[in-house]
Amino acid sequence: MDDRLLLIFLGAVVGIFSGIAAVGLNRGLIAMSESFAGLHNYWWVFAVPGIGAALSSVFLEKFMKEGAGHGVPEVIYSVSRHGGLLRLRSAFSRLISSCVTIGSGGSAGPEAPVVISGASIGSNIARSFSLNERQRIALVGCGSAGALAAIFNAPITGLVFTIEIILGEWSALTIVPIAVASVAGAQVSRLLQGNQIAFTHLRFDVDITTTLAAVGLAVITAAVSIALTLALRHSHRVSGKIMLPLWLRAFTGGCLVGLIGLMLPEVLGEGYHTIQKMVEGTFTQGLGLVLLLVAAKIIATSFTLGWGGSGGIFAPCLVIGSFTGLMYHRLVDFLWPGLSWVNEGCFALLGMAGLVSGILQAPLTGMFLIIEITGGYETILPLILVSALSTTMCHAWEPASFYFKDLMERGHYLRPRTDAKVLADMSIDELVEKDCMTVSENMLLGDFIKVVQQSHRNYFPVVDKETGELKGMIHLDDIRPYLFDPLLYETVFLEQIMQTDIETVDIHEELSDVLDKMDVRGLFSMPVVANKRFVGMISKATLLDRYRHELIVQTQH
Amino acid sequence: MQMQMLHIFRNTPLGRETLLQSAYFCKQNDILPVIYIPKFVKFLMYFENDVVQVDLDGSYLREPDTAEKHAREIVTEMGLEDPRFLEPKHFTASTLPDIPVNFDFMSCPRSITDLSSKIGLGYIGPRVRRIVQSARFPVLIPSSVYKPWKSLAVMFGGSANALRTLRLGIKLSRISGLPLDVFTQEGKRKKKDYEQIIQDEGLAPEMDKYVRNWRIFEKEPFKVNLYEIPHDALILIGAFGHGLVKELLFGNTMEIVQTVCPNSMLIVGPNYRGSI
Repeated sequence: MDDRLLLIFLGAVVGIFSGIAAVGLNRGLIAMSESFAGLHNYWWVFAVPGIGAALSSVFLEKFMKEGAGHGVPEVIYSVSRHGGLLRLRSAFSRLISSCVTIGSGGSAGPEAPVVISGASIGSNIARSFSLNERQRIALVGCGSAGALAAIFNAPITGLVFTIEIILGEWSALTIVPIAVASVAGAQVSRLLQGNQIAFTHLRFDVDITTTLAAVGLAVITAAVSIALTLALRHSHRVSGKIMLPLWLRAFTGGCLVGLIGLMLPEVLGEGYHTIQKMVEGTFTQGLGLVLLLVAAKIIATSFTLGWGGSGGIFAPCLVIGSFTGLMYHRLVDFLWPGLSWVNEGCFALLGMAGLVSGILQAPLTGMFLIIEITGGYETILPLILVSALSTTMCHAWEPASFYFKDLMERGHYLRPRTDAKVLADMSIDELVEKDCMTVSENMLLGDFIKVVQQSHRNYFPVVDKETGELKGMIHLDDIRPYLFDPLLYETVFLEQIMQTDIETVDIHEELSDVLDKMDVRGLFSMPVVANKRFVGMISKATLLDRYRHELIVQTQH
Repeated sequence: MQMQMLHIFRNTPLGRETLLQSAYFCKQNDILPVIYIPKFVKFLMYFENDVVQVDLDGSYLREPDTAEKHAREIVTEMGLEDPRFLEPKHFTASTLPDIPVNFDFMSCPRSITDLSSKIGLGYIGPRVRRIVQSARFPVLIPSSVYKPWKSLAVMFGGSANALRTLRLGIKLSRISGLPLDVFTQEGKRKKKDYEQIIQDEGLAPEMDKYVRNWRIFEKEPFKVNLYEIPHDALILIGAFGHGLVKELLFGNTMEIVQTVCPNSMLIVGPNYRGSI
């Protein structure tokens, strides 16, 4: 079978399985939420999210031997550095843990867990078919797209999210199977759960006032996005300093969420029911309470995800975004009481787009998500504006998005066709030039000149003949002062004229570090050593030659 | 470039025995030991077409303050240079380091994930099996107690993997100078068939030069014949990509050998591509 057709076929298969995984999680969450519905009258109900988070943490740490977190950076890391290889256990571990966390009331979303689940399904199907690296990455994308398409019943969002966040590139090889997987995932969801749109479609009369007001909303959503990002990081840092077992930390975080939930139940769980009320315009609480809810949901999400609970940031973004949109609308209404403009439900939608775009710095994902989950196109103009401006402002404050921050800090943010990616895909081992003539310390100058005559290089490594250890280097310039005095040929030993203060490269160093060394010291070639033994030379010319070759390989698809 | 062997060190008496044998192997074959002292109970190994998560038992994290000193002492007392201590550069998650896989050999106990009290003859853990199946390097499985080997014993059954194992045996015999014995159990193939395979692969001159003794067992079950393998030999054997069911139902040579022989073993996986 043609490779592309095979990939499209496998993409559909991956999309179907990812869709089933997403529907499974969705059903699990519904079942958990129904089970806990009768507990609201008990005083100890605040401990339920704590127990859920603790169980989730124990399950991930002790049984699955995986870390907490939502897993999206792990997928991106795997795609950029390891050709999309993911563990099979990731296909179900975070589905179960996030179901327990969110189902018990933790403030998190199911979207990121289904993304890693789908991606892992794609990776392992690719592995069982022994596909090559590029094909495997395409199937990882298929899994991610199929899962997201299924959980939101939003195929375009699945496609766009995968391209924008997971893969970071649009290419003919990947986009077709990913689109097919998106369709397959969404179709599975429709078959098993019906063609439901997450939020009821309402008609909004969007005019120029709304579009202009969207600029102000973008500023507010950007500020709230930054606040959420800071809160998550701070919470993670604080919990990391507490000398308690992970499950106890998760329990404490969950209980704090439960306590907030006693007073403000809207912060619990994924919160789609609350969003629905806001979009429909039936959320009656006043401006002050909405402002409080924005803060409370940010804190609850930080306690859930930062303290060891499992789940994603997507759903909390939607809830906080809709609160923010509502708050903004009511604030404007308060300042200009007579203003006649669109219903506040429209701003709840715009707020969601602003938050998603701000946190993820992925404007297309934010736009298409809102269009698809509301089934409406009327808000497109302010939607684009809010998404674009919110992304831009968040990017200006912090160039790394929520998903990329950790990866960038660890130097693992390797996007296709970038300098870092090209360098990461090459190793010193394959660039070492081994045709150097080595000489020993006790060689006489006269003998060395005979060696020079047979060599085409200017540099000569001086090595210990017994151990192979690099002792120094001799450049042709170093012997120039002695060349015209034959008397010195039999009296000068190389150890007297060699350079000993030489910069070396370890064979295990990263190429980016090697290039930095060369640039800083103005060198064009350096000796490579392994455990102090001389291995060969690495030259900038060879490196850049291979760099160009690698770049061509990466860009030809 | 000097060959390198990865060793995951545990700072316990059992870990000492294991490292002693790795160091002995390195000394014989001029290999640089690369020692990883784990700081987390798990790590990942990204192979070409698989990712293996190794979940170590808690003893690997014991006494971290003296681990490096002990490891260095063991290696240098064996007469080797200072080992290289591996510090992971990449992490899949903050507590999940990636261990490179570009080594020439790796040393692994029979089971790397189970408690050492559970390790026994006849059992090779699932993670070790996956490493063997995915890696391009052979895996040294040392016996429980340090016992220097004085010869090499290759189990040769005529398959492609057995030929790779034989090539490795010849290479190690050439480097270390240790005598090489080859053991073959006759089955459907007869002696002349095996000799023809050796001829076809162009290995006859090396066989003549390096192999001290080629024992072809015609009678008795394979298990019984294994008694003929010297007690102080390093066994080299190929491992196949058999599935669990096939292994349970039929077994294979490696399963039988590792069940019966307490010797240290060097297992050559299906992805090994070394040359003589």
